[in-house]
Amino acid sequence: MTDASQPAAQIAPRRTPGPIARTMRRLPLTAKIGAAILLMWLITVVTVQLWPLADPLQMVGRRLQPPSMDHWLGTDALGRDVFSRTLHGAVWSIPIAIVVVACAVAIGSFLGAISGFFGGWWDTIIMRLVDVTVAFPPILLAMAVAAMLGPGLANASIAMVIVWWPIYARLMRAQVLEVREREHVEAAVAGGAPPLRVLRVHVLPLCWTPTLINATMDFGQVVLLAASLSFIGLGATPPSPEWGSMISEGATRFYNWWIAFGPGMAILTVVLATSFLGDGLRDLFDRRSQ
Amino acid sequence: MTHFRLKHGLTALALAGSAVFAAPALAQDDDTLVIARSMDVNSLDPSRAFCDTCQFYLTAVYETLVTLDPDNKTLVPNLAESWEVNDDFTEFTFMLKDAVFADGSPVEASDVVWTFERLKNLKASPSFLMDGLASAEAVDAKTVKFTVEAPNAEFLNKVSAPYAGIINAEVAEANGAVAGDGAAEGDKAEPWFLENSAGSGPFQLAGYSPEAELRLARNDSYWGTAPAFSEIVVTQIQDAVSQAQALETGQVDIAMQIDPDTAQSIRSGDVTTEVVPSFNFVYIGFIPGAKGMSEVLTPEVRQALALAIDYDGMLDFTVGGNGTKVAAPIPNGFPGTAGLTPREQDVEKAKEMLAAAGQSDLKLVAGYPNDNIYGVDFNIMMQKVQQDFAAVGVELELKPLTWAVWRDELGAGEWPVTAIYYAPDYYGSGQYVAYFAMIEGYPWTGRAGVGNDALVANPAEAELYAKALASSGEEAEAAYTALGEEMMKDAIILPLVSPNLVLAYRNDIEGVRYSACCNLPLAEISRK
Repeated sequence: MTDASQPAAQIAPRRTPGPIARTMRRLPLTAKIGAAILLMWLITVVTVQLWPLADPLQMVGRRLQPPSMDHWLGTDALGRDVFSRTLHGAVWSIPIAIVVVACAVAIGSFLGAISGFFGGWWDTIIMRLVDVTVAFPPILLAMAVAAMLGPGLANASIAMVIVWWPIYARLMRAQVLEVREREHVEAAVAGGAPPLRVLRVHVLPLCWTPTLINATMDFGQVVLLAASLSFIGLGATPPSPEWGSMISEGATRFYNWWIAFGPGMAILTVVLATSFLGDGLRDLFDRRSQ
Repeated sequence: MTHFRLKHGLTALALAGSAVFAAPALAQDDDTLVIARSMDVNSLDPSRAFCDTCQFYLTAVYETLVTLDPDNKTLVPNLAESWEVNDDFTEFTFMLKDAVFADGSPVEASDVVWTFERLKNLKASPSFLMDGLASAEAVDAKTVKFTVEAPNAEFLNKVSAPYAGIINAEVAEANGAVAGDGAAEGDKAEPWFLENSAGSGPFQLAGYSPEAELRLARNDSYWGTAPAFSEIVVTQIQDAVSQAQALETGQVDIAMQIDPDTAQSIRSGDVTTEVVPSFNFVYIGFIPGAKGMSEVLTPEVRQALALAIDYDGMLDFTVGGNGTKVAAPIPNGFPGTAGLTPREQDVEKAKEMLAAAGQSDLKLVAGYPNDNIYGVDFNIMMQKVQQDFAAVGVELELKPLTWAVWRDELGAGEWPVTAIYYAPDYYGSGQYVAYFAMIEGYPWTGRAGVGNDALVANPAEAELYAKALASSGEEAEAAYTALGEEMMKDAIILPLVSPNLVLAYRNDIEGVRYSACCNLPLAEISRK
């Protein structure tokens, strides 16, 4: 830094970057890579219909062709293009993960906030419900619910929300319990503000960070669980090019490795990317883990 | 978030790995035959068992009165040295050989009578073999006579089914078995049969652990030619690829469930693979009795849908061309099938027929077990059906289900289309008529009509079946051909593919063959 630049900067300060850009800049490299991969997948979800890809549901050539210039990831047992199916699979897997995480965060945070803020009976009932739900291994509970409701992505999503909301309820409750005791909240209560207003205006805005970090990391896990449910036949129904069901088709054809390779790599990149991004966000924001 | 830790994944991998590496005794041991198979055992009690694994287990441990020659057509003596049938196929008399059970006691007419009465009275899965049995009597110690209610030319064939293997009555009774009228409730021998056997066959049960292994030991007091191996281990290996790998590494001597696609990928020079035609087939079934379907799935619409299917493409997609087309729901090579011609796809005619029936924008749902049977992945097969139906404007929604849910929903008529498979229990077309024909009171009539048999019944078939059972030779064949044609007209059952079977074994093994009654006759196998 030269002597000349400093006063210049003071005189004409550059426009300060927005909070997202600022956060991005401070993230470690791995988290930036994660964010870039996720962004690429999101762009794929939105624009894949416009790409010059083979129809993911129709036969395009001989079955079980190995990867070639015409079919980058080969063809599956019905002669469909695996590359095209993998990219189209994002349209199923990623929006579902977004919806499931959003619903789980909404339901869990709402119940957790009520539980933490009002305490008493509310707290007892909601937290026991949470205990009961987390007592089951998540994949088993999701399988049980999905099996009961019947196969289909909508049912699988419901099953996953049922599995996931307690995590957010606990997170939000812990945050609310801590913030509730702060002085500005006591001041607001003493000032006669109605309880719901205190919760909304004075407590909740300080409670979101852990939830958001957790939601980022969970996003990949939801993609994975959705694929697991489809893999065992409880998620997407054929012929939808869902990643889990594509891997399941490929798993019985070990020597035609390319059928499972595409969707496998897709899941791998999404899950790794969200983990990287989530880790980076946690390092930035979560004081306790530092 | 602690839902899925990498650690857990690694643990699972390590577990899976140890399961592979810790698998049983290596195959090289001269005196032990190791077979890889995904076992589907429902019971090891001959009168209750009903599964593909049971077929070869029972054949090795229990013996039937007559059995099927390697030509898969002719009946040859087994425990019976000869038999007589009266002219109208209602009385069957068997003369027994001087055979002994594994405990040294002789096989007598009383054991045969006891076994058949128990098979009938248990009302279990294989009890249909004894349908119509009026009486069984021991004429003397070595002669037994059966009388059936109506002429049944196929009774002899039924007796060759592995489930009709003769049980040592004294031993079984001492362990809770009951043969009389109250057998269905009073018989407590099923657990005993999971640990012991009481047959006269070349092998005895040495141990069974579900989902792990089935172990057979040579019966040292066997009355016939002693088998080559002193021990046979059937080890649980789930899928075709793992079975192929176990075979290539020499971990097993025989792999029973390798599909043709996987067989092609076997590179080891120590392994022999033979592709033989099988009598198994997979089919789709229409259920006009399903909710809201009785006016929709009329015979014309079913015929049209049958014409929409690309049968040649189906063969290619499901088994890579390693199979044959089947006309009526009777396997190729069984009596009466020579005169039947498989359907051909005719998209234009299918569209015309659908338009004429006013069903040009039909929507159907197919519920089927999410499984891979005889190398056919049902998901792949049904996606092909879906594509073919779409070509004639019919939208088919697919619902792959677990077996338990599939059974429930089938009984409730939840969906109008399903897919499933069938393998013979003995050589004879009668069992296919008894299962698939639209005759009131028969299994598939009940399934297709969902309790309303009249909706789908075809009266011509009952008459033809009675005629087939009362005759033999060419006359019976002609009746079965006519029955096959009627069943094709019903278009309730559409057989899609008869997958070829792969016999895969190490080069030093000989005597591996496929039998229509008994799957894999273990006693004939030896090491060079």
